[in-house]
Amino acid sequence: MNRTRVLAIASKEWREIVRDRLFFALAFVVPAALMLLFGFGLSLDVEHLPLAVVDHDRTPMSREYVHRFIDSRYFDFKGYADDENQLDRHIVDNQLRAVLVIGPHFERNLMAGRPAQVQTLVDGTFPFRAQTVKGYVAAINAAFNVETLTQAISQIRGVPQAQVREQLPLIGIEVRFLYNQSMKSIWSIAPKLLMVIMMISPPFLTALGIVREKESGSIFNIYSSTASRGEFLAGKLLPYVAISTLNILVLWVLAIFMFGTPFKGDPLFFLLSAVLYVTCTTGIGLLVSVAVKTQVAAMIGTTILTVVPAVLYSGVLIPVSSLSSVARVIAHLLPGMYFADIAMGSFLKGLGLATYWPQVLALALYACILFTAGYLLFHKRVDA
Amino acid sequence: MTMAQLELQGLRVWWGRLRVMTVKELLQLLRDPVLLFVILYGFTADIYNAGSGVTLQLTNASMVVQDLDRSAASRELVSRFLPPEFSIGYQITRDSEAAQLLDDGDALLVLTIPPQFERDLLAGHKTHVQMQIDATNSVLGFLAYSYGTQIISSYALEAGIQSAGLGAGAASLAPVVDNRVRVWFNPNQNDAWFMSISELLNVITAFSILLPAAAMVREKERGTIEQLLVSPLTPIQVMLPKTLAMMLVIQLGIVISLLTVLVPVFHVPIQGSLPLFFCITTLYIINLSGLGLFIATVTRNLAQAAMLSILVLAPMIFLSGIWTPPEAMPAAVRALTVFSPLYYYMDACYGILLKGADLRVLWDSVLGIVVLGCFTVGFGLWRFRRQFD
Repeated sequence: MNRTRVLAIASKEWREIVRDRLFFALAFVVPAALMLLFGFGLSLDVEHLPLAVVDHDRTPMSREYVHRFIDSRYFDFKGYADDENQLDRHIVDNQLRAVLVIGPHFERNLMAGRPAQVQTLVDGTFPFRAQTVKGYVAAINAAFNVETLTQAISQIRGVPQAQVREQLPLIGIEVRFLYNQSMKSIWSIAPKLLMVIMMISPPFLTALGIVREKESGSIFNIYSSTASRGEFLAGKLLPYVAISTLNILVLWVLAIFMFGTPFKGDPLFFLLSAVLYVTCTTGIGLLVSVAVKTQVAAMIGTTILTVVPAVLYSGVLIPVSSLSSVARVIAHLLPGMYFADIAMGSFLKGLGLATYWPQVLALALYACILFTAGYLLFHKRVDA
Repeated sequence: MTMAQLELQGLRVWWGRLRVMTVKELLQLLRDPVLLFVILYGFTADIYNAGSGVTLQLTNASMVVQDLDRSAASRELVSRFLPPEFSIGYQITRDSEAAQLLDDGDALLVLTIPPQFERDLLAGHKTHVQMQIDATNSVLGFLAYSYGTQIISSYALEAGIQSAGLGAGAASLAPVVDNRVRVWFNPNQNDAWFMSISELLNVITAFSILLPAAAMVREKERGTIEQLLVSPLTPIQVMLPKTLAMMLVIQLGIVISLLTVLVPVFHVPIQGSLPLFFCITTLYIINLSGLGLFIATVTRNLAQAAMLSILVLAPMIFLSGIWTPPEAMPAAVRALTVFSPLYYYMDACYGILLKGADLRVLWDSVLGIVVLGCFTVGFGLWRFRRQFD
């Protein structure tokens, strides 16, 4: 490969990009805007779920039970209703996410030492939310049960409640959250966001690069030039890799200073693997650009090929271990997952090349495969 | 010719032009096989992948137990961590092993049961177990924590009842509240229903903005817009056929995805009325084509249009609450959801497809789509007209 020719093509491409001011501005605005949007908006701590209560018992004890739900930050109390059948409509209409139904004789049963029945109806449209609600309900219920047991035991044994309370619950649970002590979502999400955004934006930047020349006909200049296929592809790719590397730095700064994510790893290792990663993602765009004939197809194809997998399969919303076997294969076929490991390790765990050399190797291999595929697909001869 | 005849002829010409231009757009689309393939992929394989591949539930969470008691009670507690949520790897004895496993990501949860666990329980003394959770992924971390505490607290409750000799030692007879949770609309919490529908909505949204925008910018970039400018077509006659053609393609795509993926593969129960679903979809596509038109007017070439589309698409999809429930958003962001057309459309679609909602319930969502649509289409047309002059 001739370095002068590669640089000549790269500088021509760079000038074309810079002269298209709106495009050049968007190349930097899009990643930063996405980072801010996701960073501030993405959180999976489900709170303020609208809740209504049907209390068939209406006793002090049932009201106390209801208050444990009302007072928690997880639920927003919307009011009492006489009959759960009145509330169906509101769940369908998204005005309620959960309904607590307390059966009759709630207080009498508990006082007499018998179990009491309560039902919670939950909107299951969004399964993750339903699951979270189940967890909240179980936790609030367990806390209430400790209280009723304490009372029952102190009555039977004739010991003061305070003494029983020291013993219950019999098993205390100590929980240690590792790597993300405060369980603040943004902490754990910021490094992965970096990965997702650099999976979305660079392919879009690059996707139209070659097909645009095909459509406008300027590709014939390349066909008739001395530049080889490899030189042309490398030269095309360089400016986009440069822009994406700059964007990585911007997002890195945003993650650390806006979102307060700690960076415990080696900056140089992180930066180098990030460059490798954006080479892969811009390469995806380049490959699309080589493969299609029209810009519209390149644009739509990139949307479907990158945005969707970037969000679904790279472990941001859904951990890779929870993916089905087919999806896990797809996840392994994308560069995002490998870089997500590196980013998480560099930011939160302070781990480096010693741990992540397989991931770095995978990315390097990925870049080589993309480039080879592009090389094989791109011809300097016009199809007959 | 009378006035009425003249008007009739005018109308006929208008329809004729609309028809011809729509056919032109469709032909152009048909002659791009790669694009057609991508669209077909988006409505079938892509939705299949999303629906089959993703679950936000805790499955096979790797768990490691450090049982320092090795008694009947400790084994009983461990045996309650069941598949499919948990998969118990092996037992370890040293703390350093736990740290290593968590560091390497080989264990999500390490449960430590102290020595004399059983003896303490039988004597009614308080004891402590420890859960160490890898919270690098906060969703999984939270679910593991939530399930783990549920299992341990219900075990603790039973142990408490037993040691106090209440209800003959059985929880079913003791004074405790039994809270049964019933999940509606998706009783088995089948993620495939949610994921496949949400992916369908994402695809509809992306195509409804990108296709009309691309169809318009392409004319600008290639210079064929000059031909349209000198033709007797009004701005609406230029814009409407593009929207119509793309709408036809998208609606056809929806039918294909319902018939080949959603219903036969994932068994999504279509509870409500499909005609209503398609009517609302039509309104939604018109709404978004206004946005597409706006993008087309501010950009000069497709590269700009593509970048600007992401800038419009990503916030719109994000704010709709399709990726994370609105209840999980900060209050300020949550207030912005009302500006995302997808927010209303999503409510309507889940309402119709999963909950069996009808127009009496959905009128507010429809109103939201229409009101926002008036703004986007009005604004898009206004910009477009100005460019035409």
